[in-house]
Amino acid sequence: MPHGIGRIKIRLPRAIRKGQVIAVKTLIIHPMETGFRKDKATKRKVPAFYIDDVSVYYGGTLISRAKWTMAVSANPFMSFYVKADKEAPLRIVWKDIKGGVYEKTVQVKPR
Amino acid sequence: MKGNDFSNSRREFLQRTGLVSAALLSISAFSTFIPSRKGALGGFMGELGSGEAQAAPVSGGIKEKLESIFGGRKVEMYHVVMKTPIIAENGAVVPINISSDLPMEPGNYVKKIYIFVDKNLDPFIASMDLTPANGRAALSLRIKMRKTSQVRTILEDSNGKLYGSIKTVKVTIGGCGG
Repeated sequence: MPHGIGRIKIRLPRAIRKGQVIAVKTLIIHPMETGFRKDKATKRKVPAFYIDDVSVYYGGTLISRAKWTMAVSANPFMSFYVKADKEAPLRIVWKDIKGGVYEKTVQVKPR
Repeated sequence: MKGNDFSNSRREFLQRTGLVSAALLSISAFSTFIPSRKGALGGFMGELGSGEAQAAPVSGGIKEKLESIFGGRKVEMYHVVMKTPIIAENGAVVPINISSDLPMEPGNYVKKIYIFVDKNLDPFIASMDLTPANGRAALSLRIKMRKTSQVRTILEDSNGKLYGSIKTVKVTIGGCGG
């Protein structure tokens, strides 16, 4: 596996008020191979390898789930919103088509 | 993508000097009037075409895709704002930003956001399920586009109503390999 796959960054706003709707920005390092690209050196097709499932858990409950295809860019960036109405962990799990599971948890601390 | 370095820096330079429109004109003029350039582009598309025959799942275009997912339900073209670049220099990274003023209350919320690109081999790009815990129906994602095409987003709310938005994005370098 190439180096760096599955490295994750999740960014939340610095100061969060209780009940505020916050933007969650996420980035994961992943090649997102379509299966159409040819390796220039070997002249062979690079097999498809992409993330097809992203789940977002807030305080243990699944609040969002994304279905992706190979047409999402490499090193996928995604941002979405979460209503910060409790102090709880925000866990995001990415799954790729070769069985790779990548996850990261950040703590949402509304004041 | 090594060959793009030149055109990227050229484009940046032109943007800085405020000549974006002139650059566009010259690019379109090149691709229509200079045969060698056109031939190269044709070869590129041909390569993609052969890949399509072997590897792509059979998809009957955008109309059939929408029909199979939404079954001919009517899509209303308001309440959704989609921000896209007008021109994407690189089809491999096209930022799409969707937002909506639809409510996100229990019992009346946006439950799914879909993104489609008409001329990709598989027009379906991504979808995201939402719940009222999201607080706002919005999504940003970077997608790949094979060529200049319309980008559609469709939001489905918990009552089964559909809201959508369409934008055309010009792609100068395709993003699906090849």
